[in-house]
Amino acid sequence: REQTEPSSSSGGDKKVILLPCKNPPSRERVNLWLEARRQYESLRKGR
Amino acid sequence: MTTLTRQDLNFGQVVADILCEFLEVAIHLILYVREVYPSGIFQKRKKYNVPVQMSCHPELNQYIQDTLYCIKPLIEKNDAEKVVVVIMDKEHHPVERFVFEISQPTLLSISSDTLLSHVEQLLRAFILKISVCDAVLNNNPPGCSFSVLVHTRDAATRNMEKVQVIKDFPWIVADEQEVHMQEPRLIPLKTMTSDIVKMQLYVEERAQKT
Repeated sequence: REQTEPSSSSGGDKKVILLPCKNPPSRERVNLWLEARRQYESLRKGR
Repeated sequence: MTTLTRQDLNFGQVVADILCEFLEVAIHLILYVREVYPSGIFQKRKKYNVPVQMSCHPELNQYIQDTLYCIKPLIEKNDAEKVVVVIMDKEHHPVERFVFEISQPTLLSISSDTLLSHVEQLLRAFILKISVCDAVLNNNPPGCSFSVLVHTRDAATRNMEKVQVIKDFPWIVADEQEVHMQEPRLIPLKTMTSDIVKMQLYVEERAQKT
């Protein structure tokens, strides 16, 4: 990956923009978790 | 009134603690308000004496915590110029950027009894502004995701290296695609000036979101 901005005024110390290499959980993954939690809670209430 | 330097009272650490705690609440709230995740994963909590929505999804919460854990050393050394919550469309192009521009004074003048309550009051206003920002923003396209960017200097990234290894949470330099936004509309949300930190929050919104 290339650095996204040219060097800054602070003595050649380049400005950089960083981001985590890992992605956050996708919406689909979160939806699955939510559905599983709903099913678990309805099962628990049904007991 | 006392004048202190950043070295006194571990000043940088205190500011980093306050800001990271605030950023955690702000990120959760942005994800809720901008509907990046289903509302069912959020629960109402009270922070800064106002109701906020916080995720209860363990993986997402851990992700946000790891992100902030890695940013903290930069804030501590006053090396994080901006922390940006980017909302991206399905093609990973930014549609909205919530930009937290942070600057800290090198000298600190405090009257300690009022300091923390005053800062809390200022941060509360940011939270309230975020919670109503959907009124001034256009709807996002379906299937959006998010990322957190930090604007820093090359030399400062060394402060992050240790925590990246500890957390197994590596950071990389952003691609042009992740940073560039076509014809952004700028919406200022809030500015604060306190004895320990200056911060402004604005949103950059892509003109054509769909």
